[in-house]
Amino acid sequence: MKLPQFFGKKRGHRRTGSQAWGSFGEGFFYAVLLVSGFVFGGLVLSGTVAYSPTDPDTVVLQHGYDWWMWLLTLLLPGALVAFGGSGVARVIRVWGKSDEHRAASMGLPKLLDTMGQAAQDAPGHPGVPTCENLVNSPGTLLRYRLPLESPESWTLIGFGLFAMLWNAVVLVLAVSAGLDLLSGKTDWLLFMVLVPFAAVGVGGIVVFVWTFLLATAVGPTQFEISDHPLAPGGSYDVLLGQAGTGRFRTLEVFLEVEELATFRQGTDTRTERLVVWRERVKEWHDVELTPGGRFESRFMIDIPADAMHSFASAHNSVHWRIVLRGLSESRPAFTRIFPLVVFPPPAPLLRRPVHSAWQVSP
Amino acid sequence: MNDAAATTNGDSKGIVPALRAIAAGSPAVAKGTLSPRVVLQFDHASRIYQPHENLGVRYRIEGIDDEKVRAVERSAVWYTEGKGEEDLESHFFERLFGQDAVNAAVPNGSFAIVLPSSPLSYEGVIVKVRWCVRVRIFFEGGKDFVSEHVFEIGQIPPARNRREPLA
Repeated sequence: MKLPQFFGKKRGHRRTGSQAWGSFGEGFFYAVLLVSGFVFGGLVLSGTVAYSPTDPDTVVLQHGYDWWMWLLTLLLPGALVAFGGSGVARVIRVWGKSDEHRAASMGLPKLLDTMGQAAQDAPGHPGVPTCENLVNSPGTLLRYRLPLESPESWTLIGFGLFAMLWNAVVLVLAVSAGLDLLSGKTDWLLFMVLVPFAAVGVGGIVVFVWTFLLATAVGPTQFEISDHPLAPGGSYDVLLGQAGTGRFRTLEVFLEVEELATFRQGTDTRTERLVVWRERVKEWHDVELTPGGRFESRFMIDIPADAMHSFASAHNSVHWRIVLRGLSESRPAFTRIFPLVVFPPPAPLLRRPVHSAWQVSP
Repeated sequence: MNDAAATTNGDSKGIVPALRAIAAGSPAVAKGTLSPRVVLQFDHASRIYQPHENLGVRYRIEGIDDEKVRAVERSAVWYTEGKGEEDLESHFFERLFGQDAVNAAVPNGSFAIVLPSSPLSYEGVIVKVRWCVRVRIFFEGGKDFVSEHVFEIGQIPPARNRREPLA
């Protein structure tokens, strides 16, 4: 006898489990959360689970909370009701509907999708991301200045946040230990904890400062472009400006297409990136940068006529980008990424196939 | 999609459409006595269309014998394939229910739509975009059968995985 499977997994191109049982399991889970929220909230409101600090052994009916105390008390049941209710509403909305029917019913299911983030489509171009954020900064010589999409910046912010939070904890422990010492007590356990914590804290600061120095050692990069969004078959004027000091063994500009896929693996959500097309647009050797000056070059980029346009859906996307890679003599290599948006070609550019009579699809 | 056995009544291009054409049936389907089949004709021999172009299809549903059809759904959708979770968007969707509407769409039917400007069909490495026409039949017993027929918008050549190291 085959037992019902409440959880599905992606196995290549197919999914395991039954959709009906999966929907039932999902609905049941959210319903439990919803009922728990109502029950817990009801108990709190009725005072059944109120707690009297003066008499901890007795459950009492207690009134007279301040508004913020009520807010805090009802936060958890409120979250349960909101999360469970939205989940139940989603399950009811899609119950018994085909995949196509669900896709045609816009709105709530997409809003409630916790994993995928549906990209905003460009007007008149479904599945193509908008480029509003790429055309709101005018260039100095060319029409638009491209924004930087640098993973290094996020790494730097991550290291900075870690160093700050960790050392805040260390500081609290150190103050506590210091007060103990002043009062003549010595808590050896606290000191034993404090030493490795302080070592990690110092290490966090060192890593952050080192990453910050690396990120700022190479001066700012600026790309300007003559038009945006781009179109297959089009040629565009590009200006590169690279500030900083020192000598670069190589500076290279690439035009790349990257595919990005988000998927669930167990309980994790993972994203895989893969560059599927790359063209070296320009290359310079032995570039010497002097303080106060900057390296500048103007060149053309060509988008192939049969290229795929930029594409973005909730879990999959195709990105175009300009990438600058530099190899310095004294510093590690650096990479800077500037996203582009390529629209589908205008209709006359598309090749028309030879048509004949009705084609049978068995 | 649906539980129960899979059949390959859909498009013949590739294994994925075959896996997608899932028959979940009425009692007759479950017993193996009923095997619906949708024969669908595109108005372009190549099944390659351009953005904003008209797409017309005619179809014939075979093998449902005396099973009562409760509703029919006809749609033109695009979906993603590959490493990521599947995304599916509907460009055209029509649900026909009620005896008159069903009689007009079963066993023979046709419809025509104007295609959108995007997304174009794309054969990437970890991301693929496919367009298809689907005809889904709902039987009185509560089960359904779907047939999928792939077509293309645009003629983007397949992407190749270029993993060579940077110079």
